[in-house]
Amino acid sequence: MNPRKPYVRPISKTSWFMTQSRYKVYMLHEISSLFVAIYSAILIIGLVRLGEGEAAWQGWLDAVTSPIGVIFHLIAFVFALIHTTSWFKAVPQAMRIQRGEEIVPGKLIVGAHYGVLAAVSLFVLILAGVA
Amino acid sequence: MARSAKAVPWFLFAAGGTVLSFILPVMIFTTGIAPALGLFTDALSYDTMSAFVGNWLVKLVLFGILTLACWHAAHRLRVCAHDFGIRADTAVAVILYGLATVGTATAALALVSI
Repeated sequence: MNPRKPYVRPISKTSWFMTQSRYKVYMLHEISSLFVAIYSAILIIGLVRLGEGEAAWQGWLDAVTSPIGVIFHLIAFVFALIHTTSWFKAVPQAMRIQRGEEIVPGKLIVGAHYGVLAAVSLFVLILAGVA
Repeated sequence: MARSAKAVPWFLFAAGGTVLSFILPVMIFTTGIAPALGLFTDALSYDTMSAFVGNWLVKLVLFGILTLACWHAAHRLRVCAHDFGIRADTAVAVILYGLATVGTATAALALVSI
């Protein structure tokens, strides 16, 4: 026994992030990686199915449009947006651009990222046949 | 200077996070939500998809996105495991990076066979 009896603040190893809202937000964007992983697996299986022929591909499409498939993709979409917004928010901290004497303001860098996001999204949508 | 092997997964995590932040929302919408809404039925038909993925540039881009996605997720989930109180980091790393390797290899094989 330690005769000093130091005070050790009790912190749960498994649910410490529930104690503060900013920790919850941190956990929310870290957990987005789980959905990235599952979505990647679904897409890789889709490519395997595409290589196996028309019936296999249709089977994959049926699975994607099943209720469970739709619910998963809706949740994954929300987490993808959480990933994007939190990633962009961190960009000015990771990337400092200096122009002459001035440091380019973070808002401008983040804004440019949203511009590229819009352009990339539009490009993919046009590629898929909308617009 | 001491060299650390940490740089490799961290680079894949950072590069993946950047690429995914631009491409992931629209990709999930296109392949996961649009089919249920009856959108892009032509683009997602077997003939169009096989012709589209049959293009070598498309194969290369898809391989790049999927590889970065696998390794980004593996590295971030490894940190998540630590955050959830799992301290067996070596085992977690072996399992997650192993899964990322399987994902990368499967994607490569599937793309080559189309």
